Amino acid sequence: MHTNYTYAFITLIILLVICILANISLGSVSIPISAIFESFVGTLDHESWSYIIKDYRLPKALTAVLVGSGLGISGLLMQTLFRNPLAGPFVLGISSGASLGVALVILGAGVFGGAFATIFVSKWSIIIAASLGSFLVLSAVLVVSSKVRDTMAILIIGLMFGSITAAVVSVLSYFSSAEQLQQYIFWGFGSLGNLSWQELGIFFIVYSLGMLLTIFSIKGLNSLLLGENYAKSLGLNIKQTRLIIIIATSLLAGTITAFAGPIAFIGLAIPHITRQIFTTSNHKILIPAVFLFGAIIMLICDSIAQLPTSDYTLPINAITSLMGAPVVIWLLVRKRKMLF
Amino acid sequence: MLHKKIVFITLLLSLFFWNCQDKTKQEISLPKTSKSSIKIDYAAGFAITNYENSTLLTINNPWPDSDKNYRYLLLTKAQAAVSTYNKSDYDGIITIPVEKMVVTSTTHIPALELLEVENTLIGFPGTDYISSEKTRQLIDSGAIRELGKNEGINTEVLLELNPNVVIGFGIDGNNKSFETIRKSGIPVIYNGDWVETSPLAKAEWVKFFGALYNKSNQAESIFKAIETDYLEAKSLAENASSKPRVLSGAMHKDIWYLPSGTSPEAQLLKDANVDYLWANSESKGSLALNFEVVFNKAKDADIWISPSYYNSLEALEKANSHYTQFDAFKNKNMYSFVNTAGKTGGVTYYEIGTARPDLVLKDLVKIAHPELLENYELQFFKRLE
Repeated sequence: MHTNYTYAFITLIILLVICILANISLGSVSIPISAIFESFVGTLDHESWSYIIKDYRLPKALTAVLVGSGLGISGLLMQTLFRNPLAGPFVLGISSGASLGVALVILGAGVFGGAFATIFVSKWSIIIAASLGSFLVLSAVLVVSSKVRDTMAILIIGLMFGSITAAVVSVLSYFSSAEQLQQYIFWGFGSLGNLSWQELGIFFIVYSLGMLLTIFSIKGLNSLLLGENYAKSLGLNIKQTRLIIIIATSLLAGTITAFAGPIAFIGLAIPHITRQIFTTSNHKILIPAVFLFGAIIMLICDSIAQLPTSDYTLPINAITSLMGAPVVIWLLVRKRKMLF
Repeated sequence: MLHKKIVFITLLLSLFFWNCQDKTKQEISLPKTSKSSIKIDYAAGFAITNYENSTLLTINNPWPDSDKNYRYLLLTKAQAAVSTYNKSDYDGIITIPVEKMVVTSTTHIPALELLEVENTLIGFPGTDYISSEKTRQLIDSGAIRELGKNEGINTEVLLELNPNVVIGFGIDGNNKSFETIRKSGIPVIYNGDWVETSPLAKAEWVKFFGALYNKSNQAESIFKAIETDYLEAKSLAENASSKPRVLSGAMHKDIWYLPSGTSPEAQLLKDANVDYLWANSESKGSLALNFEVVFNKAKDADIWISPSYYNSLEALEKANSHYTQFDAFKNKNMYSFVNTAGKTGGVTYYEIGTARPDLVLKDLVKIAHPELLENYELQFFKRLE
């Protein structure tokens, strides 16, 4: 690792810590910084503040870190695997697969009736359904991509999967009750502040698996940048590498979508922002950088979405795109070309 | 093709006869004098004006921020025989009493039953939502046709039923199937009871149905009884010794939805003499608040009313462990109406609550001040177990 990157990474890590602290201290209820520290030491005697900090804001901040970093990484993996700057978990239908899984669980009751007839879908079934759905769609894209040479064609296939799921969801919606629709639509808004410590733990385990696989495939990713034939001549097992990358992505993007809903934009944009700032395509540098950028930007978006001191909040998805898209446009215009 | 021709010729002929008829009637015109309006005390969405030979029904605000007024001419058979009118002046001409009706919301059902005209109902979209015994029997006997699900009215079935009038409701007036129905010559009236801002105003829409059935006097006395009952419960609550603090609503993901201070729900809570913690909020519609804010303000609230669609303490806990931190949850002081449902799962509160605010208010008084209504049985709300 070059020294110039060392400084950049140190800066980013400090920034991440600052963002986590800022995210925990900003919220609708104005809690003084002193109380925040007191609550961690355990000397805060304001019961509801202590609960808000430890059981609402802290898990939310950690969720933001996992979601931002995970989506950024899975976007990077997809962009490298398909060698397409437009790729990302959204484009390839992972999110639509997850949406379909969730729709089948939440809205399925209206269609299948009887056995499913309950409006209380346990969180776990939603999570499992979302993970399965995203894995299935991604596998389908993968199978097709092994038959199709052209990466653009694969993107279009991903979009087609998106259309198919949208159609199935609309049929399901038609037969669902208002409450079920409400539940499904709210899931679609995405949210970070809805996880208990226990859920966060399970989220973290799956996420770590995805991250480990990502770290395993760094060498393969760098070879893929040179093209598949060249990678083969380097002795890379393309099929295996592909499979590992796909599994890593579906673990990351799938669980994130399952726990936090479909969060827009981050997966596509963070890798671009990182490449423009770090001017490298070496995954050894890119992966930790994307991790840090993703986490920082997600935390900032969440802090904005919480509209500190106001009683209201905005859906996180609105903020990620509103904030993120102009940044990417500005970066691309400034650099006059895309680094990819 | 031949079929089309026949239809066309029939149409031509009927137009011709129509014109002939009109010519014979043009001598007598509507006297615009001697009019009297039916007294409406609370509702702002409709007006009924009686003329000598007709009744004019006006709908002012069928959906929020609507800029349209709808005018319907109501004529008894006798009046229809002697009056002329310009069809284009009205959004519909309706012969009263209506003999065949289609309504589209369960909130319309109690009015029909109170006026004892539920047997004129011939179709309804989503009959499973109807809970009332009387009307359910009519559904089971096949007298009321299912018109489709989720407000997506099956237009073909409806046209085949050919009701005298369809009582719809619109979120914004862009309802294609209602447009089709209107074009086919069946008048569609948008019922705006749900737009009204107070519980009594919503209930007063029984007078709207009264006009359609030529039973205005009966509707008037029905409403009078409900109003009296409501105001009695309200003044009873004023004598309460305590004023419990109340929280309402629940979260979807991490946003807490609860009635704003200007809503009919908040009005009911105010009339039940409780301290609804968001009584002073002034936004339109429901409030969408951050969990932190609600928790900070309502952690120690005494009573928690209507936690969205959750039907048990366990369901709340499963959905989000944050709920368990509220005192009202710990003390099991939570009440919801979702567990009171009809045979086919329709929640009775949604059906009867609009027409009978007196019962809803009594429920709330009983919950907040049990000592005031010792012998009263809760109608809609049940304590969550």
